[in-house]
Amino acid sequence: MRRHEVLVVGAGLAGQRAALAAVEARRDVAILSKLHPLRSHSGAAQGGINAAVGKEDSVDTHIYDTVKGSDYLGDQDAIEFFCREAGPTVVEMEHYGTIFSRAEDGSLARRPFGGQGFPRTIYAADRTGLALLQALWERLGTEHFTLYQEWDLTNIVVREGRVQGIVAFDRRTGQFEGIAAKSVVVATGPAGRIYGRTTNAHTCTGDGIAAAYDAGALLKDLEFVQFHPTALLESGILITEGARGEGGILKNVLGERFMGKYAPHVLDLASRDVVSRAIVTEVREGRGFPGDFVHLELMHLGKERIETRLQEICDFCRNFAGVDPVVDPIPIFPAQHYMMGGVGTNIRGETNIAGLYAAGEAACVSIHGANRLGGNSLLETLVFGKQAGLAAAAYAASASAPELHDSDIADAEAPVRRMMSRTDGEDPQAIRTAMQQTMDRYVGIYRTESDLLEGLRQIRAIQKRFERVRVVDRSNVYNLNLTDALETGHMLELAEVIVVGAFARTESRGAHSRVDFPSRDDAHWMRHTLARKTPEGPNLSYAPVGYTRWEPKERVY
Amino acid sequence: MPEEMVTAQIDVFRHDPAGGGAPRYQRFTLELPPHTPVLTALLRIRAEQDPSLTLRYSCRSAICGSCAMQINSKSRLACQTPIGPEIAEHGRIVIEPMRNQGGVRDLVVDQTSFWEAYDRMRPHLITDPLRPMPEGRETSMTPAQVEQFRETPRCIACAACYSACPAVEADAAFPGPMALAKLYRFVVDPRDQARQDRLVRIQTEGLWLCLRCHLCTEACPKDVRPSERIRDLKEMAIAAQGGTERGSRHAIGFKQNIRERGQLNEMKLVLQTDGILGSVGQAGQGFKIWRKKPEISKKPRRIEGIEEIEQIYEALDPKPKGDR
Ligand SMILES: Cc1cc2nc3c(=O)[nH]c(=O)nc-3n(C[C@H](O)[C@H](O)[C@H](O)COP(=O)(O)OP(=O)(O)OC[C@H]3O[C@@H](n4cnc5c(N)ncnc54)[C@H](O)[C@@H]3O)c2cc1C
Ligand code: SF4
Ligand code: SF4
Ligand code: FES
Repeated sequence: MRRHEVLVVGAGLAGQRAALAAVEARRDVAILSKLHPLRSHSGAAQGGINAAVGKEDSVDTHIYDTVKGSDYLGDQDAIEFFCREAGPTVVEMEHYGTIFSRAEDGSLARRPFGGQGFPRTIYAADRTGLALLQALWERLGTEHFTLYQEWDLTNIVVREGRVQGIVAFDRRTGQFEGIAAKSVVVATGPAGRIYGRTTNAHTCTGDGIAAAYDAGALLKDLEFVQFHPTALLESGILITEGARGEGGILKNVLGERFMGKYAPHVLDLASRDVVSRAIVTEVREGRGFPGDFVHLELMHLGKERIETRLQEICDFCRNFAGVDPVVDPIPIFPAQHYMMGGVGTNIRGETNIAGLYAAGEAACVSIHGANRLGGNSLLETLVFGKQAGLAAAAYAASASAPELHDSDIADAEAPVRRMMSRTDGEDPQAIRTAMQQTMDRYVGIYRTESDLLEGLRQIRAIQKRFERVRVVDRSNVYNLNLTDALETGHMLELAEVIVVGAFARTESRGAHSRVDFPSRDDAHWMRHTLARKTPEGPNLSYAPVGYTRWEPKERVY
Repeated sequence: MPEEMVTAQIDVFRHDPAGGGAPRYQRFTLELPPHTPVLTALLRIRAEQDPSLTLRYSCRSAICGSCAMQINSKSRLACQTPIGPEIAEHGRIVIEPMRNQGGVRDLVVDQTSFWEAYDRMRPHLITDPLRPMPEGRETSMTPAQVEQFRETPRCIACAACYSACPAVEADAAFPGPMALAKLYRFVVDPRDQARQDRLVRIQTEGLWLCLRCHLCTEACPKDVRPSERIRDLKEMAIAAQGGTERGSRHAIGFKQNIRERGQLNEMKLVLQTDGILGSVGQAGQGFKIWRKKPEISKKPRRIEGIEEIEQIYEALDPKPKGDR
């Protein structure tokens, strides 16, 4: 049996930062990841990372902007800690070797980002995530740890009220193995692929969140799902706000510049949620293009402006959508972009289970509350990745040896063997597509009681179909058909939690927008949703929001 | 604007070493709009025709570096290559795994040697404990200094260049274009304090095995231009060599490299025209002349006239017995 003191699952920014902290605390550390660490989805982040380091800016304004952005669901104590750590965290990443963009005076360049009072988003050209991921991986490379590369986590083993380790399989051999660990850090990133329309990578399937849920961890605020208004049709690749910032306009099938109806003053520059809702309304009322999308037009800006100022958007459109923004309108639609919820933790990354920690997009501290500010999530991965790594290391230093049994592995492997031996049943891809269509249609930007009920009914029916999932590929080597099936199972569990949480929350707050309950209801709902797995489905309870000094106000921009 | 559909005939290399059976090409036919990326086509095949087709992919937006493969014999990212032009040019699309890396299954290759070469470059800042980074704030770096990295920070480690490189194919000791572009990134980093050591070491660790064929630059989906950075490294390495004591451990290694492999066409020119000592100062200029007519040789081999170089070295310091 393999054994480590601290086992980090996931090697994006959150997992790597946790591992570095645990290594520095002199524990025996392993990282397990289904992708090579440098292929993690963190690398796709373009915009930047927030830190109030400018002279005119202050940590307090960063705190205020984050609290307000969260629509008062963020824990203020956590947000205060988070914003104080921002400056030192960015400086540390610079010292590790990150190549940030610079101002003429040699300091870190900053750009403005939505919902924030000052330009405080530090960036590396249009590839901030990649720059951070490279630097952190290269820094970690100077330390000693074990890497389980291209291993898929399937189960977290909890017994006697504490973590004992995990079960995972090596893609290269298909072999299921137990890895005993005193502490396990879940840093497996987002679950955007629950939706068909998403900006997330194909591999963002919430595996670790689901494994933690299976093991008894509480999931927090999963119903809060952020949508981005402008993603490319078909692929879902993100087109940044910059396109509208430069003067891009949205048009419906009638050729109308429809944002005038929804935001008469700021028009196309309205905030993400306003623009997303406007697009959905246009499409629902029959003014979308066939296939349910609208157009983003840049043509009027002229070839030179498009090619110099919007170079990267131009490349995306040409390379991935076959449209040339210089002459063609860009077909866009709103897409799932970020999950505010996740495995519930405190600011040390501790969950409700001894020895189990979570960090990054897979976790919910909560600092984003009902709505995340752009540039805060990269920062979150680093700040709370480190905290989770420190806490996991401290726990491992005093915990007794964990016990994994052969039966733990057999239990994890049994359903897989059944999937692989069925002679009839359904392909996981078909089941996945059905789930995605349901979530897009019924649990999207606008929510109503009847839609959510229908969504829940469908998700439960699809879960039934999944009981008959069949893996036709019988190979033990790099069996992606099996990975598809396992991921789909994980996402179906989380989809149910999202719908149930959204149904229960009879208010509109941040990204959760109930047509039938259009206003925020602080008296009843200024609290976090906690979901625990039971045989009957998710059992919901609620927890108060951490409060320090910021009175809830109406959120107007 | 509605698009015409094209009929895509896609011939995919299939092999599962564990399952036995010989490698084969399997033909799939799909109707798709011409702008469809190859990756999307392959995922359609997985979803609709054969879920056992095996490949690496994740981001579908040319940023994670997972999906490099041979598309009609060129190393490219599947997610960034539309099918239309491929079909227009070749009539069909032949999909094979990347080269220079052993096969795992279908299009998935074993990247161990690629990652190891990257690690050998000591890809992290090396700093002198006596000259620490500024406490509590960022190191100062001007936009002009950032420019020095050129396009190397864009590298997504996709290994398309490694797959295309004939020097990798010929000599396992060659780190490959990506690793050398990475080395360049650290050599020009104003925060790094091992520049000299890096430049000296790399000369015995494969720098001069590069054939200057530029196939890596042609293959790179992110315009990192590894061959141009390797050229820069060679120039900087020679300049760095000029700064070290003659007869140092590194210098000996440097000379041995030339003597044994004889792949330093540039060096040969410089040596022949200026003699060894004279060449050091002239190196930069020599390169510029030479760069105008690059010779493309497919395989590293002992260059013609290697005997002459050997004689020069022999005269300077006799070859130790038992060497080679
Ligand atoms: C297009 C896009 C742009 C963005 N831009 C910004 C931005 O500008 N600023 C900002 O702050 N945020 C941005 N975000 C959000 C931010 O990038 C993410 O929230 C953050 O990077 C998540 O990091 P992570 O470490 O939690 O997860 P990831 O980077 O997704 O890493 C997850 C890791 O878990 C591993 N893993 C997953 N499942 C398993 C399993 N079953 N077994 C083993 N390993 C597993 C994966 O291999 C991977 O290593 C953006 C997001 C997107 C989609
Ligand atoms: S130029 Fe050098 S590194 Fe690039 S492909 Fe040719 S031999 Fe390889
Ligand atoms: S240099 Fe270019 S081709 Fe080579 S690994 Fe990096 S991005 Fe890929
Ligand atoms: S899938 Fe990420 S680079 Fe192609």
